[in-house]
Amino acid sequence: MSNDQIKTTIREFIVKEFLPGEDPEDLDASVRLVSDGILTSLASLRLVAFLEERFGVTLEAHEVDADHLDNIDDITALVAERSR
Amino acid sequence: MDFNLSEDQRLLKDEIIRFAKAELSPGARERDELHQFPREQWDKCGEMGLQGLVVPPEYGGSGLDALSAATALEALGYGCDDGGLVFAICAHLLACVVPIWKHGTEAQKQRYLPDLSKGRLIAVNAMTEPAGGSDAFAMSTRAVADGDHFVVNGAKTFSSNGPVADLAVLYANTNPDKAYLGGVTAFLVERDTPGFIKGQTFHKMGLRSCAIGELVFEDARVPRSAVLGAVGGGGPIFAQSMEWERVCLVAAHVGTMQRLLEQAVDYARTRKVFGKRIGEFQAVSHAIADMKVRLEASRLLVYHAASRLSSGRTVGMDASITKLFVSEALVKSAMDTVQILGGYGFMTEYGVERTLRDAVGGTIYSGTSQMQRNIIAGWLGL
Repeated sequence: MSNDQIKTTIREFIVKEFLPGEDPEDLDASVRLVSDGILTSLASLRLVAFLEERFGVTLEAHEVDADHLDNIDDITALVAERSR
Repeated sequence: MDFNLSEDQRLLKDEIIRFAKAELSPGARERDELHQFPREQWDKCGEMGLQGLVVPPEYGGSGLDALSAATALEALGYGCDDGGLVFAICAHLLACVVPIWKHGTEAQKQRYLPDLSKGRLIAVNAMTEPAGGSDAFAMSTRAVADGDHFVVNGAKTFSSNGPVADLAVLYANTNPDKAYLGGVTAFLVERDTPGFIKGQTFHKMGLRSCAIGELVFEDARVPRSAVLGAVGGGGPIFAQSMEWERVCLVAAHVGTMQRLLEQAVDYARTRKVFGKRIGEFQAVSHAIADMKVRLEASRLLVYHAASRLSSGRTVGMDASITKLFVSEALVKSAMDTVQILGGYGFMTEYGVERTLRDAVGGTIYSGTSQMQRNIIAGWLGL
């Protein structure tokens, strides 16, 4: 799966689950998911569970932080790196 | 999915049941009455390796996978009449030892895990605050960086094992602008750290042999080397430890439900009224049948969730479903057993009323039943 496909899949999940009604195209890399409060504690767990299930990766608890999850590009890079 | 136990798992279960009945259950009623932590029995559990079931052997543990550990705790819950001791071991293992094993530095693991696994050190999870409770991350305990140290101020309450603990897995806010992600840091704080003070020990409805109390931190200076995981990374560490606790602690409940079922069946098959054994009355036999259904459903939930824990995946919703169902099933089955045993069930001598009092705590600690429903609803996108 290409990085663009990963990014699209992640974007669609976040919009569908945490920003219902929003246009997925509005969720670009400038939106800070953690810092802006889109990813709450439960939302971040749900996102990680989705990533693990959908992409077959495993994330450690210490990787669930703002450095890895704060925007779409960072999440995509984490999944792509872990999928290799 | 095959949940038939392996030969090793069966042997371990049998060994723990024999050990618990012989070494842990005697004196449980007296310890309950005295609110007395059973240090002698705790130490024996340490020799058995119960406090380090999942810790790799190189750190002094038994090296079990999560499902095997769950079956071991099920055996403990079955054989051990002392619910407070079972709870104390689970709180130590699941909320303290697991996060150190998962996230500790090599130095931290070498320093703490061997003694924690053998019960020579007792650990407390210091998370809940007087004004926090279910809103766990709205914490006021602060840790402020000061050179090579953090200075901690705040108070924790309802801390299981707190009054007897040698080591605290402390969660404190290190960034007031953030909360779950980035705001909370986990620390390992040793008992003799200046400014780390044990507060009052609580008297409780149940789980009385587990010492639960307050912890106070007054300008406690904790070295940076005591940070567990990364600064700001405490939230997910806590969440993961709760997944382990919600799944594996109620594994012990499954064993307790098995014991209650056997007590109820034995009594129903021997006690006679109006010329018949009470098990011949549907009011009794149906209640016991429901106990069996709850037991088997609980066991499957625990085994399924525990098998997912071993895969290393996030199991938040499974953990909440399991914890909610099993903890409430235990309360119902304990209540039914009291009712079936009638006056004998109500008397302290038979231990069933103690099991009922202990069971109520299960719907409160590790997140109340109401919080588990909130979490499940949240996972469903509600």
